[in-house]
Formats: sequence, C-alpha cells, structure tokens
Amino acid sequence: MSSKDHRSISGALAAATCTLLGTATSEPVQAQDEPGWDFNTALLYYAEDDDRVQDLSLNVLSRRVFVDDRFLSLGLTLDALTGASPNGALPQSVPQTFTQPSGRKTYTTPAGDMPIDDTFRDSRVAITANWQQPLGRLYAINVGASASVEYDYTHVGLNARISRDFNKRNTTLSAGLALAQDSLDPVGGAPPGLTQMRNAVDNDDGDGDGDGGNSGPDESKDIVDFVVGVTQVISKNLLVQVNYSYSDASGYLNDPYKILSVVDGTSGDAVPIAPVPGVDSPSHLNFYEHRPDSRRKHSLYSQAKYYMSGKVLDASYRYMTDDWEIDSHTVDLRLRWPTGESQYLEPHLRFYSQSAAEFYRPHLTDGDPLPAYASADYRLGDFDAITAGLKYGWKTGGGNDMHVRLELYRQSGNIAADQLIGNQLDQDNYPDLNAIILQYGYQFGK
Amino acid sequence: MNAARAARGIDVARGDGCWRGQFFAMASPCEVLCEVEDAAEARHLTQLAATEAWRIEDKFSRYVPGNVISRINEAGGSAVSVDTETAQLIDFAATLYEISAGRFDITSGVLRRVWRFDGGGKIPGKAEVAEALQYVGWGKVTWKTPVLRMKKGMEIDFGGIGKEFAVDRAAGLVREASAASCLLNFGGDLVAIRKPVLRDAWKVGIEALESAATDVQKLIDLKVGGLATSGDARRFLMHEGVRYSHILDPRTGWPMRNAPRSITVAADTCTQAGMLSTLAILEGVAAESFLDAQGVRYWANR
Amino acid sequence: MQVRLLLEVLLLAGIVSGCTSMGVEPWERDILARDEMQLTTDAVEAATDDHIYFSKEASSGGRGFGGGGCGCN
Repeated sequence: MSSKDHRSISGALAAATCTLLGTATSEPVQAQDEPGWDFNTALLYYAEDDDRVQDLSLNVLSRRVFVDDRFLSLGLTLDALTGASPNGALPQSVPQTFTQPSGRKTYTTPAGDMPIDDTFRDSRVAITANWQQPLGRLYAINVGASASVEYDYTHVGLNARISRDFNKRNTTLSAGLALAQDSLDPVGGAPPGLTQMRNAVDNDDGDGDGDGGNSGPDESKDIVDFVVGVTQVISKNLLVQVNYSYSDASGYLNDPYKILSVVDGTSGDAVPIAPVPGVDSPSHLNFYEHRPDSRRKHSLYSQAKYYMSGKVLDASYRYMTDDWEIDSHTVDLRLRWPTGESQYLEPHLRFYSQSAAEFYRPHLTDGDPLPAYASADYRLGDFDAITAGLKYGWKTGGGNDMHVRLELYRQSGNIAADQLIGNQLDQDNYPDLNAIILQYGYQFGK
Repeated sequence: MNAARAARGIDVARGDGCWRGQFFAMASPCEVLCEVEDAAEARHLTQLAATEAWRIEDKFSRYVPGNVISRINEAGGSAVSVDTETAQLIDFAATLYEISAGRFDITSGVLRRVWRFDGGGKIPGKAEVAEALQYVGWGKVTWKTPVLRMKKGMEIDFGGIGKEFAVDRAAGLVREASAASCLLNFGGDLVAIRKPVLRDAWKVGIEALESAATDVQKLIDLKVGGLATSGDARRFLMHEGVRYSHILDPRTGWPMRNAPRSITVAADTCTQAGMLSTLAILEGVAAESFLDAQGVRYWANR
Repeated sequence: MQVRLLLEVLLLAGIVSGCTSMGVEPWERDILARDEMQLTTDAVEAATDDHIYFSKEASSGGRGFGGGGCGCN
C-alpha cells in the first residue's frame, strides 16, 4: 500500500463514524502512557587471569517518564575490586622486592614473574542524574551531573547536551559539553614523578595521613569534553551517526602506583640496591612514573545501524589521536539475530589497536639523563586487543527483558626491539592480559 | 449465548473514588465507572449502558435466531430490507470496505468455519480455504440502501464492529443522562466521557504480552475519548513454527502473518479506534507505519 | 533534442530521488522506531563497556563523553 493510501483513511473514517453515531458530541481523545519508572539493571563480573583484577559491579539505571517526553534518569554503580595490577617494573631472573604504595611494608615478586602489586583492593560508588526534555518542537536538551567516590579518588562532573532535528527529523545535530574535576588522595600520598621508590617505614611517618608514605599534597585534574555529532536516517532500515569529540585533561595525570625499573645499560637487568640492615627497602632501583600534566585527545566516531529482515547489524569505528602521540583504532561489530518470537542471540566482535605514548618506555637506563616524562604503564604501550562475545536475550513471562553475555577480552602488546637491552630481549616484558566479562541484565517497568 | 442472556443483570459497588457498575454483554464482562456521589445515579447509568448493550447484542448478534442478521444470512439469495440503524451500520461497513481496499469485510465470517483459533496447530488445506472464499467478498453483495441481496451461502456479521459501536452508543446515552465523568468498558473497548475530576485520568490496563499466567498489564492514562484493542496475544494458531494471527485477511482467506500480536489505538470514538486497530493488524508488517500515518497514538505489542 | 530532454529528465529524476531517498517519511519509521534500532540499545551495557575499556586502554569516549571519573586510569 502506498503512503498516499495510508494517509487518506483517518479523515474518511472520522466522517463515516460521525454519520454512524449521529451528532453525539465528543471531545478530542486524550490518552498517553502512564508516567512511571522503568529500570535497567545489570550485574557484571570481570576477571583477569593470573589473579589480576576482579571486579563485581552492580548497575542500576532508573528512568522516570513524565508527560510531554520529559524524563529523569538516575544511575547508581557499585564496584568491588580486588586483585593485582602490573606495577610497571620488568620481570627479572631474581626475586624483586617493592615497597607497597602505603609505604609501610614490602612485597616480593618471584624470579621470572611479571611484578604485580597485589595489595590492590578498592570499592567505588558512582551516581549520575540526567534530565532530558524537548525545547520547542525541534530542540531537545539534556543536563546532568555525576559523582563517584573511591578510597583514593573522587570525581564530580557536569554535562549538558543540546540537539536539533532537521529535515523531517531525518537529521539530528547535537553538541555537548562536559566538565569534570577529579581529585586523588593516593594511598601513601602522590609520589613526585621520576623519583626513587622509597623505603618502607613500619610506622606512621607522622604526616597525619596515617601511613608511612610521601607527604605530598592531594592532587587533582580537570577534564573538559566537547562533542558535536550528526545522526542521519538514510533509509527505512539504515541509520548512521558521526561524532567528533575533543577532550582536554590537565593536572595530575600520573598513575601514582606505577613505577619503572632502572636497568643496567649493557645487561638490561634491574640495578640492585645493597640491603641496609634494619631497613626494609626495595631490592632494585625503581622510579615512580611521570606523565605530562596535560593531554588533548581528538576522536572521530561513526556508527551505523542496519536492519536486514529481522537482524540488526550495529557497526562502529573510532579513530583517536592525542598529543601524547597515541593513535588508536576501534572497530565494534554486533549482530542481533532473533532466534524466536522474543529471543535473540547477539555475537560481538571488537578490535582495538593503539600505538604507544611518546614517553612510554619499558624501563629507565642507569646513567642516562632522566627523560622529562616516562611511564611503563602497559596501557600506554603499543598493543592490540580483541573482544569476542555472545549475548543471549529474551523476554520474560512478565514482559521484561533479560540477557546474559559472556565476552573474552585479550590484549597482546609488543615493545619495540630498540627499546630493549641485553637480557630483556630473551624474556616476555609486556604483561599480556586475558579477561572474561560475564554480565546479567534485567530491564523492567517499561 | 443463551446462558449469558439468562444471567442479565447489573451489579453496582463502591469503587475507588467512583461507583462501579458491572454486567455481562456480548460475551464480555462490561463495566461502567462513574464519578457520582449517589449509588442510585450509578445504578441508573449502568442500567442505561447495559440495556443499550443488550439491545445491540440481541439485534446484531449472529447467534440470535430471528434478528436482522439471521434474516439476512438465512435469506438464501433473496433481497432483504433492513431498518435504519442496520442500514447505517451496513453503510459504515461498506465505506470501510472501500477505504481499506477490501481489508475490512463484514462477509468474512464464513472463513471461521475453516479456521479454528484455539492455540492448536491445525490449519486448513488450500482447497478448503478457496472453497470458503467463494462466499466472501463485499464486492459480491448488492446493497442499495435499505435493501441487501447476496448469494446463498454468504453471511454478514458485525463481530468486527459491534462492541465498539455499542460502547459508543451507550456512551452517548450516558453522556446525555449525566454531567459526571464516566468510563465505559465493554470487554476492552473503552470510552471515557468528560475528563475525570477526582483523578488525573482513568488508568487503563492493556495486555502487554502473551502470558496466561501473569496477566501483564501496561497502564495507559485515558482522560477522554475511545480506546480499542485488536489482535489477541492469546488467540493464535501455531503451525510449523509460524504464528498465525486470529485475524483473517478477507482478500486471501488466510490469517495475517507478521502482524503485531495486539494493537491498542486511542481515537475520538471507540469505533474509530477499533477500526484503526483492526486495519493496522491487516497491514501486517506495516501496521506501525500505517498508524503513524494516521497521526493517532497507539501501543503495538509484537 | 530528444536525447537531451531524456538526459534532463533522467538527471532531474536522479536529483529528486537522491533527495527523497535520504531519510524517510514519518509513516515509514516502523523499523527505525524499534528498540533494537536505537543507536544505544542498552545504556547500562554501553556504560559498563566504556568503563572497562577506559580502565584498560588509552582511548575513551567517542560515542558520548569521555567516560572516566575513575581512579582506574
């Protein structure tokens, strides 16, 4: 049936009904969805192999719909993290001892193992609130706030976004701005960049923070994000979006818990420190990392949703480049495949590749002048990652949506051969990562 | 049907901020909610609505011997002259047949002899459907108000319009008889008369999903106007993994495939809402786009 | 002359169909209106994924704001 036929019916029907029912006066209909809450909840389990990080996360996003397409969203996330993270030092052929971030004790990594700091344990509470409403016939605005608290980290943020529809709502332009201020109060204080890892002091150092660490002040960073985007309906079953975003972070951008091994320029082995009786000190020379105090990122993101006889393909690509000289490419593909009246399977593949930050280096070399910036954080290195997952979703007897998904995430990095020295060439210096993501989601009240 | 008629009577009880009258008509539970103080007034309005519902049921039900529908269907090919109200309904049906390009057809009831929608998996053979289809088609009927003639074996019925028509008619009588805000519900076909005063809106539950056990309801706020639902999440036929709606396409004799399980439409009158929801189901996969084009508010359940 | 007219007609048809094929009429939005055709089908899943990758990779954001607000990176 052509669109013209579609249009003509309601007028003719109204006339015929009027004839049938006589002159009974009736007001124009007024009906709408009952305003109410709906909820999107998820329980996420994330676990890395080799007893590294594990995270159990509970997420609740609730939405209250009001008349005239206005709504309020409130989000809550609770994270419980345990496990260990690579501290940045290189594996050695002998055991290595490091000072804990608290500065009060040491821990030892066996010979040949990737040094990981296993004192890591944290919980996080994050909340978000957003209000969205139309502004006139073609505009919509969304304003929001966010905050999160961890043991050593707090975040507060504000965001706003405006969009306008054009071309029979086939085109939507949007622009958004987000401001955030994060402050860090690291366990043991924030160490000054590129200074030697301290000795452990088995008592309170008296600086009032209850630990034996650095007495450095709390640190903070400011982040400004700006996004502009266009969403375009191409056809009845194809929708695309392109976003450009700019992000400017300034302030303390170091990871206060990450260090670099200082190695011998010939053998490539970490420089040992002669033990002093009565002093609990690291076994080898390590320096705290130091990153620039500003970072500017540019991202171009594009996404397409394509409907093909019941199946929906969701494909996106992101290119990011920043002034730390990291470039990254991300391709994300999902195919939602209905397997019944109210069930679907959704395979997911994600490919990620990034180049190393310009100041990324696996180690510092003893005797060389100190660089301005250095970090051996694997997340600033050159690596590829792949995610493969499968999601199964279904409608419950009560008309709500449930899903489970299992994903495997694998990172494999490589360090340029010219950055390695001597014995380092014979060993695996990059902490490859394998993780599983298991999520159960439940949406109700819609 | 006879059992139902034997049970004709109304009940009135105090509801939540209103009086609630109940009765049974047209194979459905019916109710009248009125924002009135007085039980007697509520009883009067319910009686008014029930009497009209029963009148229309008796007059237009295809199960009642000797009524106008029986006379038409048993005419055996001869012409039948009908009264004004029946003629108006037939005129309406003829108009709907025209503007829906044959999707709405009051002669399609014959197909129900070969199609049984009991949730089972038996479907009739092609020959059986083709045979029945010979007796279907408003185009084969001669209608010149007020005289109708159709070939022997053809039948008409107002099953697709009767309840909506009845609730609109009853609403007209209630509206004249009282200044109160009332909600009439004839088995899921609703009319709200005047905006309610004691509440924001009438909360109307519509079936949200196939689920015999839980009776899932989605709530709609209805202030004034008509609301009707077509399709039925529970009445369907499964055959070789394909789900057939119980709504038959009179042009093919086969049930609609790829139609929403049910569609609820809000319109100025229940009759309009009912016609739009029925026609939407008969658009199959294009049901939603059809309704988008009509500029009405609707709730589709796929 | 006829050829030129034909060319003009073709060109015009091309322009017109080019304009109208980009986008749809309001009553053709049945597929686009489906939940699974929204750019973000599950806001919680999108947020948890953003959070995981933010803490494990040097890139973030793109779809929306940069994410973060976490000491994990």
